[in-house]
Amino acid sequence: MKDLKEIASYTLEALTRAGADQAQCTVARGRTKELNIDGGEISLMRTLLDNQVSMKAIKDGKKGTAAINKFDKAAIDQAAAECIEAAQAGVADDAVTIAALTTNAEFKVGADGEDMDAFYDRITEFLDTVNKEYPKIILEQVISDYSESDSVFMNTNGVCHRVQRGGYYFESMFSAHEGERATSFNSYGSQFSDLSRPIIDVGMQRKLLEQSQQELNAKKFEGKFTGKLLVSPGCLGDFINMALDNFISDTSIIDGTSPWKNALGEKVADGKLTVSMVPLDPRMSGGERITDDGYVSENYDIIKDGVLRDFGLSEYAARKTGNKRAPNTSGCMAIAPGDTPIAEIIKGLDRAILVCRFSGGQPAVNGDFSGVAKNSFLIENGEIKHAVTETMISGNLAAMLNNIPAISKETVEDGSSSLPYALFDGITVSG
Amino acid sequence: MLEDLLTGPVTSGGAHTELRAQTTESVKVSVVSGNLIANAGGTAGGVCARVYKNGSWGFSSCADYDADSVRAVLKEARENGEFLDGKLNKGKAPLPEMKPYITDAPAAAPILPRKLYIDYAMALDAHIAKTYPKLSGRRVIVTGEKFEKLLCASNGTHAHTVAPRVYVYVFLSADTKDGETLELFDVLDGGSGYFPDYFTDPAQYYEKIDSLYNELMDKTEGIFPEAGTADVIMAPSLSGMLAHEAVGHTVEADLVIGGSVAGHNLGKEVASPLVNMVDFAHTALGKPCPLPVYVDDEGTACADEVLIKDGILVGYMNNLESAQRFDMAPRGNARAFAYSDEPLIRMRNTAVLPGKDKLEDMIASIDHGYLLTRTGNGQADTTGEFMFGVNMGYEIKNGKLGRALRDTTISGVAFEMLKTVSMVSDDLVWESSGYCGKKQPMPVGIGGPAVKCKVSIGGQ
Repeated sequence: MKDLKEIASYTLEALTRAGADQAQCTVARGRTKELNIDGGEISLMRTLLDNQVSMKAIKDGKKGTAAINKFDKAAIDQAAAECIEAAQAGVADDAVTIAALTTNAEFKVGADGEDMDAFYDRITEFLDTVNKEYPKIILEQVISDYSESDSVFMNTNGVCHRVQRGGYYFESMFSAHEGERATSFNSYGSQFSDLSRPIIDVGMQRKLLEQSQQELNAKKFEGKFTGKLLVSPGCLGDFINMALDNFISDTSIIDGTSPWKNALGEKVADGKLTVSMVPLDPRMSGGERITDDGYVSENYDIIKDGVLRDFGLSEYAARKTGNKRAPNTSGCMAIAPGDTPIAEIIKGLDRAILVCRFSGGQPAVNGDFSGVAKNSFLIENGEIKHAVTETMISGNLAAMLNNIPAISKETVEDGSSSLPYALFDGITVSG
Repeated sequence: MLEDLLTGPVTSGGAHTELRAQTTESVKVSVVSGNLIANAGGTAGGVCARVYKNGSWGFSSCADYDADSVRAVLKEARENGEFLDGKLNKGKAPLPEMKPYITDAPAAAPILPRKLYIDYAMALDAHIAKTYPKLSGRRVIVTGEKFEKLLCASNGTHAHTVAPRVYVYVFLSADTKDGETLELFDVLDGGSGYFPDYFTDPAQYYEKIDSLYNELMDKTEGIFPEAGTADVIMAPSLSGMLAHEAVGHTVEADLVIGGSVAGHNLGKEVASPLVNMVDFAHTALGKPCPLPVYVDDEGTACADEVLIKDGILVGYMNNLESAQRFDMAPRGNARAFAYSDEPLIRMRNTAVLPGKDKLEDMIASIDHGYLLTRTGNGQADTTGEFMFGVNMGYEIKNGKLGRALRDTTISGVAFEMLKTVSMVSDDLVWESSGYCGKKQPMPVGIGGPAVKCKVSIGGQ
């Protein structure tokens, strides 16, 4: 079988034949062309062709899932039988369900076809620019690709969506070197739908390369203080994601360990903080159009002006806990900018750490975290003084979100997020 | 079992070539406070080819596995290699072809019905719910996976391997008297093999769950360590993490080429003379490693790689290309995770070797410090700077264990911290449940004894 809708229909038939009361499937075909740089040299070109059939069946109120990457009827029949067997082995649960029929949709998002010659030229342009303008940088690894996929979601309620997507992705990992001195590695990833701009000009790429060279003169941080932490846009996304994982994930809401479990509609953060998930925002490159549960994606706010608006749950977790499901499952995060230019925020700081990468353990369930501030700088008397090494930071994520003196006016876009700088207070910094 | 469609198409023609067919099966069952949250399983497979052309690599993979797709991936991989060679013209010499490794298909079992995993997880969950009413949350996760590979390489290697592994994890949560929720987890058991090789009667792990519960209760009354540099004893799970994250990654030859700290430390003293570190292939100290690897995905037979000998950095882990560059012997560290992945330089079973000390003597030797017993994750830098999350530990006062610790983090610079190692216990404990992350995930074993050293520890 070659037609994705035909394969999806066959998969639902196979599940129903095997005994499913309700069933859903996603059938997708993907193609990736990838170019790698290792140790500063272009090293590898890859072509990847993949298929995907993921299926879910509900039988007697019990759910089973299975996934294969073959499109032939024998493989689908066998997977359907295993899916039903898994469901029968499960536990009946009123919360399991499949998407209700609303309006079926078809989307075409992102780039419309590859231009590998132009992409190759952009990559060599990036390499040349790094070698010329950032001579102390070694590109430890670059992974760049053009990926396209065609995907059909179908279920026995009559839902049938199709999404065709294409886009470029570029991720660099780099460090600066001078003699035997070397900096911590840093990395930056971005995605885009066209090749109109030099890759080095996307998002934070240039800034991070420049900072990496400055880190060659880093000093070990000595002493300890409790005070302000200025978090760069990329790192802010990591901190917010850690908080969301801890406080509003399916698991933490279902098992009741989240300190925010009863906080919907209540203030959980400083009034300056608004966190939204916005796959439909034009700044997002080829953002999600259909949720994991099979609904048409919509933008939504998780925290609006400091108030918790949505848990961001799957449909199962929503039904299990009496909440509503997330309007999208994209992870395309936008944090609303503040009204202070970043230069002014820095100018107003007596002493703080600018953290650009956080290397830390999994935060505790209550939000306690500690880790190393990587690729980070000491700010004193309103100026960025120098890079620091071996600097530990610790605090509590919930407390930190309530203690935000400023958010920058500027935001940085990388194709999957739009994030400002944010200043937090009450963080312990030690060397 | 994978049918052999690969024999025949691979010829070197002066260019190192690999053809690999692979199937990966996986099962994951997750029970959260009595609810069956995940009941998932899957199979993914296909065929791939990789070709080396004068210093450039071409790769291609396809989810279909038949004679046509084998020919197609080989052709596409060659064309990708030729495309880059035409653009880059590196003109490098052919790679050395190693002695071939030939093995027939080993005995393999199916990954077993999902019911076995679900019933076991639900039984453990029911026991925990009944036995420990003070808990505020609980999770049981059971995982199984099986990697079957058929590899033909231009050096004559023809290897058919099957590598299954299974694990059971238990997570317990409890509230402090201030209402804060704390969590602790343990991998009850598992490793290379199939589910019944380890798990038959849930009762065999009740004692281990009881210990975990008691530690969690200690932790709810725990303290934060004082931030700063401290004398610590890293339990084996941490020293294994140290071997993997803080040293292992820096001596992967591709990261050495990328500028890691090991590049200018080969042959130099990087640790106390008490420190010895080896990346074992399949057998360590006369016993099978937790995840044995006999042949890598370039077709090289696996052998141990000594990394640190008596405190001196003596080796890197290589693939064929880096071994040629550094004039070292490749020992089978080029590993690929999925059928669509190219081999990368990866660790196998990396361990700090045991010393001569007893843990109780090590604790008695510390006036003020910490015993760090459990870790959840770790990260390291190419500079050797590392960070581990510490989920459980105890303070040491005047040579005796004191109060439990809350979650914290330790950090240091590997080649500085290793020079502070002053005692090493005489045992070796392996763990193998996690994945190493480096473009692709990879199952690895990590092991070590308890190690006394100085590190930076986070406080509050």
